[in-house]
Amino acid sequence: MRRNRPAVNALIACAAFLVLAIELFPIAITVVNGFRRDVVILSGKPFELSQLSLRSYKLVLERPGFQKSLVTSLVVGLGSTTASVLIAAMGAYGISRFRFKGRNILAYSFLIFRMLPQISLVVALYLMYKFLGLRDSAGGLIIAYTSFNVPYVIWLLLPFFTSVDSSYEEAAMVDGCTRFQVFFKVFLPLVAPGLVVGAVFAFINSWNEFLYALILTGINAKTAPVALNSLIGSDILTWGQVCAGGTLMLVPVFIFTVAMQKFLIRGISAGGVKG
Amino acid sequence: MTSSRKPPIKQGVEARADGGAHPSLTRKSGKGREGAPLLFLIPALVVVFAVLLFPIGFSLYVSTFNWPLSEGMGPRVFVGLGNYGALFTDAEFWNSLKLQLGFVFVALPVELLLGFGAALLLNREFFGARVVRTLLLLPVFFLPVLSGITWRFMLQPRYGPLSQVLVSLGIPETSWLGNPGWAYAAVLMQDIWRMWPFMFMLLYAGLTSIPNELLEAAEIDGAGYWKRIRIVITPLLTPTIMTALLLRLIDALRIFSEVFTMTEGGPGSATLLFSLYTNKQAFTYMKVGMASAMAIFLLVLSVVFAATLVRKNMSLDVLERKAGNR
Amino acid sequence: MKKIAVLALLSCIAFGALSAQSIKVLLWDDPLTKIIQSNIPDFEKATGYKVEVEMVAPPQVLPKTAVGVTSTSSDYDVVPMDEGNIPVFASLMSPYDSLPDGKVFKKTPKESVTPAMLDVGIWDGKLIAFPINGNIYVWFTRQDMVDNPKYKAEFKAKYGYDLTVPATFKQLEEEAAYFTSIGIGGFGPFNGGPAGVVAEAVYMWESFGTSFINWVGGKPKVVLDEAKAVMGMEFYKKLMTLSPKGSETWAHNERIAAFCADPKGVFTQFHWPSYIASYENPDKSLVSGKITYSAPPGGPAKRVAIRGAWAVGVPLAAKNKAGAAEFVYWWTSKAISQKVVEGNAIPARTEVLQDPAYAKNMPWLAAIADSMKYAVARPRLKEMPQIQDVVKKYWIMGITGQMPTVDAIRNITKETNDIIAKAAY
Repeated sequence: MRRNRPAVNALIACAAFLVLAIELFPIAITVVNGFRRDVVILSGKPFELSQLSLRSYKLVLERPGFQKSLVTSLVVGLGSTTASVLIAAMGAYGISRFRFKGRNILAYSFLIFRMLPQISLVVALYLMYKFLGLRDSAGGLIIAYTSFNVPYVIWLLLPFFTSVDSSYEEAAMVDGCTRFQVFFKVFLPLVAPGLVVGAVFAFINSWNEFLYALILTGINAKTAPVALNSLIGSDILTWGQVCAGGTLMLVPVFIFTVAMQKFLIRGISAGGVKG
Repeated sequence: MTSSRKPPIKQGVEARADGGAHPSLTRKSGKGREGAPLLFLIPALVVVFAVLLFPIGFSLYVSTFNWPLSEGMGPRVFVGLGNYGALFTDAEFWNSLKLQLGFVFVALPVELLLGFGAALLLNREFFGARVVRTLLLLPVFFLPVLSGITWRFMLQPRYGPLSQVLVSLGIPETSWLGNPGWAYAAVLMQDIWRMWPFMFMLLYAGLTSIPNELLEAAEIDGAGYWKRIRIVITPLLTPTIMTALLLRLIDALRIFSEVFTMTEGGPGSATLLFSLYTNKQAFTYMKVGMASAMAIFLLVLSVVFAATLVRKNMSLDVLERKAGNR
Repeated sequence: MKKIAVLALLSCIAFGALSAQSIKVLLWDDPLTKIIQSNIPDFEKATGYKVEVEMVAPPQVLPKTAVGVTSTSSDYDVVPMDEGNIPVFASLMSPYDSLPDGKVFKKTPKESVTPAMLDVGIWDGKLIAFPINGNIYVWFTRQDMVDNPKYKAEFKAKYGYDLTVPATFKQLEEEAAYFTSIGIGGFGPFNGGPAGVVAEAVYMWESFGTSFINWVGGKPKVVLDEAKAVMGMEFYKKLMTLSPKGSETWAHNERIAAFCADPKGVFTQFHWPSYIASYENPDKSLVSGKITYSAPPGGPAKRVAIRGAWAVGVPLAAKNKAGAAEFVYWWTSKAISQKVVEGNAIPARTEVLQDPAYAKNMPWLAAIADSMKYAVARPRLKEMPQIQDVVKKYWIMGITGQMPTVDAIRNITKETNDIIAKAAY
């Protein structure tokens, strides 16, 4: 650990909390507005905290399909995160631990595919999903989200993977482990922090995705962003309900990250890399 | 707090004179292992290429047609490269490309600097450090559509909270989103606000994996704080920085809903980024052919970009050499 | 791959057989459709059909319909269309006359809708979608300000006539100028989405005596008279100087905020009747019960109210046409129209709009009926989305002084002509 000088630390702590306050300002406004009536929200007194109520939460949760959409989003988010991290970790391992022809090209084509705007893919995906009968299902969305998460996570993991020395794996292979055993039992624990970062972003990408969800789903697999968007884009914006819904959507990601942070720290100490 | 085990970080460049891959793990292991990379890559190849190959091929095909989104708009007509021709003579197209590139070249460096600075400062323990590190990520999780309307709301004259803060700082009440220059700046601000913590998170994770021995060694050698950053930390973090920039680039090229809800591309076309214009072609003008041509153009641009800039700084070999350079 | 295809095909067939008894309905999210949705159990009980509703934000209806409805297949049995999109989808819809008679609900007669509103659903002489809301410009004025004795006296002293709800452009301008001079927003412009900006532009142009685009011999033609169009734009430019700060980007949300939540926000402005529910909701509005509704003020040439309604249609490829027709008849029936009015939303059915039983508690109904006398539609052609963007771009530049109004009008005319020429009628 670096030596801690109390005065410097106090200064940094102050600066950190100031920056945090600025960063959280818009979010604080959203959270607070979820508890206020629309007419108060628009009154120009952002910090007047009288007449708070849970009414917007009640209304937004009572909207037909909203609760179901939250569950769908959670299922799709977790499903696609699990699949993406596993598949991407294997892919990144394949790229970073083996030398084969076309390795660079392969790595880049993953990346470039991810750069395409979804708008240009969604019409074709719709036709494809219709043909395969995957439309309007959570499974279909998981596949679609995994397809754009995998390249992202692969590239997120590559620097973590390349920075890990292969001597552990070599030792394990000498001990008679198969390649897959080495990967799962020796390698993955070493790169746990990277996996956690990958998981967090795969989850956020899926959780916040809008366009695929709009076009590829209908009644059954509507996700929360689409449900919330019909509040936002509706002719009459109900500020309170939008903010309440937005706050509700922040809760799972937040819990997810806090839970993952524990893993992150455990992962670091398990790997023997201490900060 | 020193580790009892040797950290599994590569040490010394000599061992990696070949520039990256691990000979002992690949070629030397015999022919039986040739198929191994494929086994690891198959799932990724299947899920990415099976899902995306058809749509990309389809996009390429559609880009040569006058292809209305709805059948009711009229028949599909083959136009060859007509859509591309129409794009290149369209002032709006070039304007949107300019705005998008400006967006990328301003927002990303700023986000990187802020994220790097914060990662350096917060890589220590103080009262509330963990809380700060966790809460700092909240903006990244914020639903983009919601971020857009919240910023729009905050910037409204009279009742907008941010507008009020600015007025109380002595800045005259301004219609921020009504002025082309300010609106573009506001769109940039929104993105910087939302995404610099993303840079922070990646760089912080990278920082925590730098072994203390190296820093301590540099300190013993008499290197000051700034020098340590320059000669030890920055080179070690370069792969992470490049990755973070690349990932942000990918998202920045696709940015849509936050800008749309904030300004709808306006006033005029002042914030009509490339991605917004693509969307407009497809879903407002219902010209899927034009939108596909724009997507293919972006694809080509990305390939060129990857083949030049990225390849130089971030080819796998370089990445590995950097990692080995410790 | 083959197996999957066969499986998909089988499941499609099985699904098709199952859905024969269900009706898939696409709806835009709005107070009116919420009322419809909450009454669907009654419809299901009466007919035995199962109704599956997919509700999306209004702007998302277009992509969902465009992708999901073709001449050979349709994801929905009933789809809504905004007035501007009727030309796009007309060829994919079953004409209303061809829909089968209902078993439970009688086919709603076309005459139940005011001719000015029935026009919304007519394309190429055929009714292809049934108009379902009475959406037309209505003027909202703060009656509490009109009644304020101080304002009344001051206004009379300055302008020599009584402060009333504006009925002419002269009144509108002078009253807005008066309120601006005492620190109250005089006028609330609309500068949000392209469709809305075109509505404001057409309102000004028609009020000064010129149309924008007419169909001549089966082809659309720009018929904008430059001098009159410039006068219309100049008038709006003047109104902009009598509007609150920031109003150059105002869309619906900001206008509602200014009018309803700021006591000194806006004195008078147009809005669509579908927003009345919000203006009269005490939760969102400080001015509920304090608004007078009227037909929009008339310009030098004529009095004009812009129309912009939704209509519902049954796609040619709908799987359950009988059920879809039944649903449309039920929706447009008198009983449901009454429920819509009671929920502060506006149906298209004339007899319900004019029902004296509602007139007392819902003063806006009379104003809507009055506005319908002056109904004017925006141009209707498939290229409208592009034309709208052109109009919005130069209109905003013109009314905010970034470009001389003459140049703005010339650019609108030129670029609209280019778009129409490219479409090759």
